[in-house]
This record gives sequence, structure tokens and C-alpha cells, in this order.
Amino acid sequence: MLKDITIGQYFPLGSVIHKLDPRAKLFYTFTFIIMVFVSSNFISLALCIACAVLIIALSKVPVKTVIKGLRPILLIIVITSFLQIAYVKTGVTLIDFWKIHITSGGILQALFMTLRISLLIVMSTMLTYTTSPTSMTNGLDRTFAPLVKIGIDFNIVTMIMTIALRFIPTLIEEVDKILSAQKSRGANFESGNIFKRAKMLIPLFVPLLFSAVRRAYELAYAMTCRCYNGGKGKTTMNALKYKKCDYLVTLLTFAFIAGVVVLNIYCGEYNAEFTFNSAV
Amino acid sequence: MSDTILKFQNVTFRYDGDEGKILPPAVEDLSLEIKKGEFVAFLGHNGSGKSTVAKLSNGLVVPESGDVYVLGMNTKNEDDDIKIKQTVGVVFQNPDNQIVATIVEEDVAFGPENLGIEPSEIRRRVDEALKVVGMYKYRMHEPHKLSGGQKQRVAIAGIIAMEPQCIVLDEPTAMLDPEGRRDVMKAMKRLNCELGITVVFITHYMEEACQADRIIVMDDSHLVLDGTPREVFSDVDRIRGLGLDVPQTCALAKMLKDDGIDIHGDSLGVDELVNSLAEILNRG
Ligand SMILES: Nc1ncnc2c1ncn2[C@@H]1O[C@H](COP(=O)(O)OP(=O)(O)O)[C@@H](O)[C@H]1O
Ligand SMILES: [Mg+2]
Repeated sequence: MLKDITIGQYFPLGSVIHKLDPRAKLFYTFTFIIMVFVSSNFISLALCIACAVLIIALSKVPVKTVIKGLRPILLIIVITSFLQIAYVKTGVTLIDFWKIHITSGGILQALFMTLRISLLIVMSTMLTYTTSPTSMTNGLDRTFAPLVKIGIDFNIVTMIMTIALRFIPTLIEEVDKILSAQKSRGANFESGNIFKRAKMLIPLFVPLLFSAVRRAYELAYAMTCRCYNGGKGKTTMNALKYKKCDYLVTLLTFAFIAGVVVLNIYCGEYNAEFTFNSAV
Repeated sequence: MSDTILKFQNVTFRYDGDEGKILPPAVEDLSLEIKKGEFVAFLGHNGSGKSTVAKLSNGLVVPESGDVYVLGMNTKNEDDDIKIKQTVGVVFQNPDNQIVATIVEEDVAFGPENLGIEPSEIRRRVDEALKVVGMYKYRMHEPHKLSGGQKQRVAIAGIIAMEPQCIVLDEPTAMLDPEGRRDVMKAMKRLNCELGITVVFITHYMEEACQADRIIVMDDSHLVLDGTPREVFSDVDRIRGLGLDVPQTCALAKMLKDDGIDIHGDSLGVDELVNSLAEILNRG
């Protein structure tokens, strides 16, 4: 059961988006996240939405899957919307009944925040849906490689990421095994109050930690045998290469930045601030 | 001398005990020489020092006294470290703990990448190494979805891609099912026959050891027997006394001999034993 968990879910669908250089994807994703915050009115936000829709359509990831990705933050969306509606009292009064006082400003503000949060999540999940962990690591590695000039060796970070990705399934399998082993000895992980249950995790984590440390030692030997020296003078078999479409996407990303800025200026400032002072 | 790839000279090694406690040596006064192109099996009961020999063979650990030479380079000399590790590769028992990447071919490329080899040359080596161990069609798979035997062959490919002259394998088949064992054994033989790589492997399976040109037996940190399988298994009582099994054929021949049946001294292969038995029956 635990084995079915996939980390950083990736759907190998082979679309144009999947084939883009991870650096291009990292760039437009981070740009997008920033631009969503920069967008100060509904028109700029509409441009963001249009871009997100375009990327989703090109990626062939089913819309249902994308929407499912929002489920974990549903609660956050509901709470934020509630707060916006409860505290923002600008605009026309829509409902004024007993203690409930809802204004158009509150509704708009709630909608604005919901769209912003949803866009952030959708675009971040789209990055992991369309980029394999290996490709992502390669992309990060290449993006941050120049930092070595100012004394930050990103190679070690990507090595750690790769090893983590490599060992997560192994350790999950191990957890499954330990769980079964302890259950067959009569351990009960499913009942009792929270303290009892927390205590039951000790016989799970102690062997897991023990084995992880042993694995680390063996892995260190194996890496030494393969001449690992912290990544100095390392080459890459599948070196990343920026292709025409990657340049095009990067260009479009810049156009997108310009678009949002222009729309922000010409379509005026929508008051996107959380206005506590209007609260009763 | 020039055809010696690995040489142990009066090697003694001990691990550091907790809080400075001095442990008995894991390997004591061990001398041996492995020639280029040999296919050598190491036997010995648990804790006899076999894994320590594997770690000593390419400088993962260095002797407390005595010396280990790889193609004449002393493993104590840190300047030759990369060259030594490139010449003698070590494969360990648990394939899970040797694979570093999330895709088979990227894992195999790890060694050559660290050596700073040209990408096109790495690609050639990776493809070749995967073909030799019969894992080429799994090159884009995720390691954790492979069987134990497949993972172990990927680990072996990762070492071969560095084009070593000698491979030391520490119980590479211990965690595998019979099929996985057979595949790994087959891959090891191919390395030896087709690529001319010197293969030294540690095993607990006598059937595997019998396939080697030479068997070295260790007991309590010492080397006790060194010879062809025929020589080593000729003294069944001695082998058993060292806490080891003998191949079933040898055991049967020994039982018959103990019962006074005149059978050839060494019957290693099944065919061989059947022939000598047939001979006796015909005579009788
Ligand atoms: N990391 C270690 N620390 C301390 N003692 C060790 C360590 N590894 C092995 N030993 C000891 O060294 C001896 C030889 O071990 P090893 O070479 O692993 O034997 P084998 O592989 O033949 O089973 C054993 O007595 C073992 O307990
Ligand atoms: Mg061992």
C-alpha cells in the first residue's frame, strides 16, 4: 500500500511540454509564480490563467488530474475566502442580514485570492507532472552550476536530491517490511490513543534508522569505488541542450512578463491588499 | 611479475573498535597473488575476513601492516587512488545500496562521469556495459522496479563502464533467487572470457565456486587453502572442518569411497561422477 505513493508525481505523456528543457520549464514556472503575485487586477490575472490553460492543454495532462491536484489546499482556499468575505467591506452591500454582512468587494477579493492560490498550485504541480525527477535534478544542477564561482557547489545538492529520490522507494519498501514483521509479532499500529500510537512508531523507526545508516555506509563505499569525489571535473552523459523550442518558450516567458506589467499599468490597480481596517 | 594484477603481501588489518578497544585482526598476515585473466572464487565461513579482503583490494581500507599492490601501485599511496579504483572495481552484496541514480543508464554512467570522460564515449561504454550483463533493454527503467538479479547486474555494469581490469565481487549472489544467481554467474563468466577481465568473487555456493579456475579458502582471518577446485575439494573432511559445504557430487563420491567403493578421487562435475559410477557398475 505504501509502495503506491509516488513522490513528485510524474506523468510520462511525451507531450511538447514534457520534451522541453527542464531549465526552460523551471524558468517559466518560477516566472509564473512571481507574476501571479505581481498581477494586480483581474485582467493581468486573466493573462496568467490563459497561459496556464495553454500549458495544460499542450501537456496532455487530463484536466481532472490537474483539478485533483488542488484538493490538498481546498481547506486553505475555503478559509482564505471566508476571511476575505468576512473582513473586506468595500463595494456594494449584497447581503445584510443579522450579523452577516457581505459586500461585492469581499466576494471579488475572495475570488481573486482563490484564483491566485489555485494558479500557484496548478503551475507547480504541472512542473512535476511534466518533468521527471531526474530531468528536474539535471535542470537544477545546470541552472545553479555557475554558483560554483562564488563558492557554492550545487553539485552536492543535486547528488543529495538524486540519492533521496533513488532511496525513497527502497525505504518505503523497508517500512512495509518492518510493519509486517512487527505486526506478526503482535504489534498493533492501528488502535489506541494518540500517545499509544506514537509510542508504537518507535519499533518502526528504530530499525528503519538503523538500516538507513547501514545503507549509507555501504553506499559510501560503492560511490568511492566509482571514483566519486564530490563532483569535481564531472561530465554528464545526457548533457542538456537548449533547442529551438526552448529558446522560443524562454522568449515567450519574457513576453508574458511584459504582458502582465503592461496590463497592470493600463488596467489600473485593483485593491488586492488584505484590508483589515475595513473590518468592523 | 608483470602479469600480476593484485598482490597482497603479509597484509594485516583490523577494524577500529568502540572507544579505542582493540579488535582481533579481520585479516592477518595474508599473502596472495592474482594473475591477469584469472577467475577466482573466495570461500570461508561468516566472519572469516573475505569482505575485508574485498575492501583491501582497491584501497577502500588500507592495511595496518603489509602492503596491497594493484598493478604494482601501493593502495596506501593516495596519488594513485583514482587509478587504483579504476583498475579494480568492487561490487557488493546488496545491489540496493550500490545504485545511486534513478534511471538504470544514468547509474551506469555515474563512474565514467566522475572520471570526466567525454559524453559520447560515456554513451558507448554505458551501452556496451549494459549489453554485456544483458540489461540493455532495461536501460530506461527505474532501478527499484527491477528484480534482485537485474539490480545486481546493473551494479556490475556500473563497474564495467569504468573499464576496470579486475572486478572483485563480494557475495554478489547472496541475496538472489536461483534464477538471479544464474544470470549474475553468467555475466561474470562473460566478463572473464569475452572481455578478459580478471574476476574475483566471494561466494557461499559451492556449485558457483566449482566454476572458478582457482579457489582460495579463508578461515579466521587467515588464508588456509589455495588451489584448483579439484585440489581444494579433494579433502572433503578438511573443507567440512572449515565450516564449509562441499559440492553434492564430492559428498556422494566421498560417501561411496568411505563404504569401500573404488571411485576416482575427485568427482566434481555431475557428468564426471556419472561416468565413473557407470564404469564401476560395468566392471561389477
Ligand atoms: N565495520 C566493522 N567494524 C568492526 N568489525 C568488523 C567490521 N566489519 C567486519 N568486522 C569484523 O571483521 C571480521 C571479518 O569480517 P568480514 O571480512 O566481513 O568477514 P566475511 O565477509 O568473511 O564474513 C569479523 O570478525 C567481523 O566481525
Ligand atoms: Mg562478507
